[in-house]
Amino acid sequence: MIAFWTDAAVLCSREVLRYRRERAYWAGQILFPLAFVGLLGFGLDRVTQLPGGTSYLGHLASGMLALGVGSGAVGAGFSLIEDRESGFLRALLTAPVSRGSIVLAKLAARVLASLALVGLLLAVLALFTPLYLAHPLALLGAVVGITSLFVALGIVLAGRLRRLESFRTLAAFLTVPLYLFSGIFYPIETLPAPLRWLASANPLTYGVDLLRYGLLGVHELPLGSSALLLAVLASLAMLMAVRSFDRQTPA
Amino acid sequence: MTPGPTTSDAIEVQELRKCFGDREALRGLDLRVREGTCFGLLGPNGAGKTTCMGILTTLLRPDSGHARVLGLDVVQERARVRAQLGVVFQESSLDPELTPREHLRLYARLYHLDRPRQRADAMLERMQLEDEADRLVGALSGGMKRRLEIGRGVLHAPRLLFLDEPTTGLDVAARARVWQQLRELHAQGDTTLFLTTHSMEEAEALCEELAIVDGGERVASGSPEALKAALGGDVVRLVVAETDISPERFEGVEGVVGVARSDASQGGSVFRVTVRDGPRRLAALVEAARDLGIEEVTLHRPSLEHVFLHHTGHGFEEQDG
Repeated sequence: MIAFWTDAAVLCSREVLRYRRERAYWAGQILFPLAFVGLLGFGLDRVTQLPGGTSYLGHLASGMLALGVGSGAVGAGFSLIEDRESGFLRALLTAPVSRGSIVLAKLAARVLASLALVGLLLAVLALFTPLYLAHPLALLGAVVGITSLFVALGIVLAGRLRRLESFRTLAAFLTVPLYLFSGIFYPIETLPAPLRWLASANPLTYGVDLLRYGLLGVHELPLGSSALLLAVLASLAMLMAVRSFDRQTPA
Repeated sequence: MTPGPTTSDAIEVQELRKCFGDREALRGLDLRVREGTCFGLLGPNGAGKTTCMGILTTLLRPDSGHARVLGLDVVQERARVRAQLGVVFQESSLDPELTPREHLRLYARLYHLDRPRQRADAMLERMQLEDEADRLVGALSGGMKRRLEIGRGVLHAPRLLFLDEPTTGLDVAARARVWQQLRELHAQGDTTLFLTTHSMEEAEALCEELAIVDGGERVASGSPEALKAALGGDVVRLVVAETDISPERFEGVEGVVGVARSDASQGGSVFRVTVRDGPRRLAALVEAARDLGIEEVTLHRPSLEHVFLHHTGHGFEEQDG
């Protein structure tokens, strides 16, 4: 059992080594939300009145953090396909390493990457948006939860797709609606009823609300149930991912 | 209850079957590999070699039959099997984004070795990869990558090392270097080597024991020398001008085990004399044919290619797929 955790830690350190080399990835991860906040946020901030008096700039900036965390985390599936294509995964499977620790390593590495991303973005965004660390623990929980949801989605997708190209396309196709109906861009209470139901069926909605509470101290949904739902859904998703990984690897 | 394996068997395979869709990759394969040998599974592409290795290394499940590795069942005791064997794949199994040093350190830790950094560095030296140790694997040559794969495969000093087509795709110099390293590995320890190859040359150069497989079945096994000797000996082909010569005149020559006569296309006769120790008997055979008007003399020593042809009835290379 100890081996399970140490193996996961060793494999996680390998993922971290790889991330540190992907400068273009990090540049994109940081510039994309900044561009959104800069181009959309400032303009809309003047003309938008949010319920509760929150500035739209803060709303969008915290939402973009959630989007960055999600889109980064889906990449776990991408890296799984890469591992399969390079043959690295095959060698790993002949070593005395449990499949669970391989999946856990992917998750842990993505959580670390998400936290690094949030840290970097906060440092930049805090210069011109009203973000502050209202509730660090809520932020941490939200980041872990959102990361788990999207890591799981990536791993399940990777089990069905062999090619990186199809993964990229399908991942975008599936995640964009999740981002749109989650309160990232506007509060869900401003949506008409059918779309609001759609948003409440979206697990990301609870993560975004919790994350916003962590950063701005405001929230739309009951906090306790958001946290609980996020924890349950994220755990379920990861369980599905482990099972899917078990099935997608031979023997 | 199946009887326990004897301690001298590194691998024991019985009636192994595996299908992919309606293609039968293995149809009841039997194998036995003694511990400490360098064993070769020789056969054309598509003979079932890689499937066999996949099962023995726990990556594939057999449809039926039994396979034991170092006394452990490859299906029931997967985790214990994995801890004891090393595997070098035919295709790359390296992460192009990591360096050789990072690969070896990673595996040293995954195998829970003491002093993983030192073990990794020592292996870099042994595989002559010190100069490339900190370059990304994606930038290395095929020979360097293969040496790294082997280094990764033997890092934890496995009792059994599997190599799938260890030199396929390498140039002559890189291949010679890999062979040298495998010989050293075999000489210095009691690691059993199990390699698959479609190269007769490789099988002769490295293996003490061979099993020839074709169409998912074993067709012959033994040492390369024994397999060749079982064909009966060397063949001396004599073309002479005279016709109507009795083969008997060659049968008296020492070492001759058989003579076949046929008519040459341009008149005269062709004798195919099967003889033990051909090079030493050549002079006596020529002497026996001296008055017949010798036109051609050729000595054919049996190769593994002849062995394969003899057992399967078809050539080696055209059996792809």
